Amino acid sequence: MSGIISFANAIFKPLIDLGAAPMMLIVLTIIALIFRVKFSKALEGGIKLAIALTAISAVIGLLTTAFQDALNAFVKSTGIQLSVTDLGWAPLATITWGSPYTLFFLLVMVIVNIVMIVLNKTNTLDVDIFDIWHLAFVGLLAMFFGANLLITTILVIFIGVLKIINSDLMKPTFNDLLHAPASNPMTTTHMNYMMNPIIMVFDKLFDVIFPWLDKFDFDAAALNKKIGFWGSKFAIGIYLGIFIGLLSHQGVKEIFTLSFTAAFCLELFSLIGSWFIAAVEPLSQGITDFANKRLKGRTMNVGLDWPFIAGRAEIWAAANVLAPIMLLEALVLPGNKILPLGGIIAMGVTPALLVVTRGKIIRMIVIGAIELPLFLWAGTLSAPMVTETAKKLGAFPKGLASGTMISHSTMEGPIEKFLAYLVGNASTGQIKFILYAALALVAYLLIFIWYAQQMKKRNKVYADEAAAKAAK
Amino acid sequence: MFKILAACGAGVNSSHQIKDALETEMGNRGYDVQADAVMVKDITEDMLDNYDLFTPIAATDLGFEPKIPVIDAGPILYRMPALAAPVYDQVEQAIKDSGKA
Repeated sequence: MSGIISFANAIFKPLIDLGAAPMMLIVLTIIALIFRVKFSKALEGGIKLAIALTAISAVIGLLTTAFQDALNAFVKSTGIQLSVTDLGWAPLATITWGSPYTLFFLLVMVIVNIVMIVLNKTNTLDVDIFDIWHLAFVGLLAMFFGANLLITTILVIFIGVLKIINSDLMKPTFNDLLHAPASNPMTTTHMNYMMNPIIMVFDKLFDVIFPWLDKFDFDAAALNKKIGFWGSKFAIGIYLGIFIGLLSHQGVKEIFTLSFTAAFCLELFSLIGSWFIAAVEPLSQGITDFANKRLKGRTMNVGLDWPFIAGRAEIWAAANVLAPIMLLEALVLPGNKILPLGGIIAMGVTPALLVVTRGKIIRMIVIGAIELPLFLWAGTLSAPMVTETAKKLGAFPKGLASGTMISHSTMEGPIEKFLAYLVGNASTGQIKFILYAALALVAYLLIFIWYAQQMKKRNKVYADEAAAKAAK
Repeated sequence: MFKILAACGAGVNSSHQIKDALETEMGNRGYDVQADAVMVKDITEDMLDNYDLFTPIAATDLGFEPKIPVIDAGPILYRMPALAAPVYDQVEQAIKDSGKA
């Protein structure tokens, strides 16, 4: 055994010592080659990933350095302990893609997906390779809290299987929301939809207690049109710069600097995000080709990233209305340490609300406001792991205070992060956590089974309606 | 030059796949095409005035009727050439119809 470990160290240690960016250049290029991607394309992807990792580290450093003094003054003057900087999704995705474990979890889930298709347990081929990072993040979090690779992989497979099943359950609803025919193959295994079971509980309660509120639903597209650029990324950066600057008693010049810095960092996060999506693209195509060859032309649904329903105006109207609500909640929520910034437009929250409520905008907003604390707590819980990983990437300037942390306020899969925390701690042998983790996993599974039954009833109604229409 | 606007949720993933695919394929077919990728929620009537074609992933409610042609480009994301081909053909036809071929 020690011989194997020595051999592995001899191979991998020099690679790891190179640092995350060069290491991932090499690893991504090799994995792409294994999936028969052309060498030049594989290398192009590897280089793009290394550049994206380097760039995102630089921008995190800029943002955290610019805001450090103001945030410390903000805490002192307001007494509000919101010390975690919310960077939004792009830096977290990059940090997660900076870990070789992400590629390992990707390979595991490609195999799980193909096995489920072959066994007829799903009809979805997931081609959204990039978004494996949500699930990998849960895995990394479980490991951070103490789980070994075996336990982590089992947890990742458990959640991953439910995600794939969920994509089948949601398929008819997507057709309904898109006014698309049954032949439309679009569905998704995106992690944000794993909040559907919890949202459905509230939706059923809404049916009983507040059904009259539905009549106040408004024209979401008209609201979005009125908001215009005021809801854009750079505008949000400006607001937060002014908000933090004023409450931390900065001068006018400093407030302008904070605002413009936050604005350009938020714009750059998205821009750099597009680089590393492009970096994974050759591998995504290679894996899709690999899977298609093995499935011998079987027709099936295609798992995409969530935004094929981004054309539904309710997603953006709810996100716009929830932004100030989240800011208020963040200020008063016990246990929360995140000041919403990069994740304040809650794209990781509203698509699931749309699917469960089928576009009832008032329900989306009310249920969204109720569930937002889960996201804030999960973001707070993840902050130490995110910060530590970012430091390993060299994303933290040396002058920053040791207590400075980074995270994401509305990252997909808050419940799964709590599971990772419990499973990770349980793996260290603490009896209390073993009990909590077991109970939490059972509860998670049971509520998913209940949700699946509800969705099957919904899907039967869709099928009956289609059959009735065809008979006319 | 024929200008295309692609759009998705964050303006970085699906829309960039569509942008890259359209630029590559239309380039291969001999057309001078430039595509941009944005968030759906950032699209305004003024922005669309700068483009010749709008290619969302699926039906999109912008709160106004686009004055330029709209082609659903979702099938490009399936990563299967046979399914993407009809989208490319429609885009090529739109370029020809615009007189910018």
